[in-house]
Amino acid sequence: MRVMMLMIPGGYETAKPGAMPDAKLVAAMSRYNDELQKAGVLLALDGLHPPSAGARVTYRGGKPKVTDGPFAEAKEVLGGYWMIQVKSREEAIEWARRVPATEHDTVEVRQVQEFEDFPADVQAAIGQAERERRGIA
Amino acid sequence: MRFMVIMKYDGAHENQMPDPQYAARMHEFNAELVKAGVWKQAEGLHPTSKGARVRFTTRGTKVIDGPFTEAKELLAGWWIWECRDKAEAIEWVKKIPMPPLPADGGPEVELRQVWEMSDWAPEYVEARESALRGAQQKR
Repeated sequence: MRVMMLMIPGGYETAKPGAMPDAKLVAAMSRYNDELQKAGVLLALDGLHPPSAGARVTYRGGKPKVTDGPFAEAKEVLGGYWMIQVKSREEAIEWARRVPATEHDTVEVRQVQEFEDFPADVQAAIGQAERERRGIA
Repeated sequence: MRFMVIMKYDGAHENQMPDPQYAARMHEFNAELVKAGVWKQAEGLHPTSKGARVRFTTRGTKVIDGPFTEAKELLAGWWIWECRDKAEAIEWVKKIPMPPLPADGGPEVELRQVWEMSDWAPEYVEARESALRGAQQKR
């Protein structure tokens, strides 16, 4: 099964655009990423620029409304993610516990939806092109 | 530049399964993104009832099972897009098809630029490399 580990770093909600993480922390993350790779579980990973450089869009009344960051009310924001291939939820959680994080951080573990997880009518609606995109045509 | 486009719901309205009409509209939108060369990657996530959160304390880790119904913002799915700039990405975000929205809930989309190695100042990259070399030597 594929699982996302979402990195929610404490304090990133107030980080300025272009803020660089501490080099020692990045080194620790690099070592962790190497372990994921050596174990053959790493599928993808990315880091995100802080929300102060981003935007949010809502769609009430059918009208998209754009707000630029930073977002004063945000208590938790996404800093980055890993996507891993594991045999079980427990295995994913064990990897999440090994993330080099501090007591201000949270890692959320979420299972990725596969094509077969969708009900038959949804599978039919999204059809062949989606199958091909997922490599299961 | 690459952007992560994050579809979020609050804990009370967390998306369970797409209905076929909405899935079809989303699929058409994805096809437009592919044709424009914007679409790179996309996934949906199972709700937090299947998920967990890990907290890190000085005494070790603590695992909390979902669902996280009090949370204001939960990730339901995401794309990675390749766009010229933030303005182009926002134009596409405005076109994302939405399900029928309840008065007090409904999704919010967050747009975040993805870090590339080229974003990082050279002295920062050097500091990181040297920290990694130091770590290698200690092993």
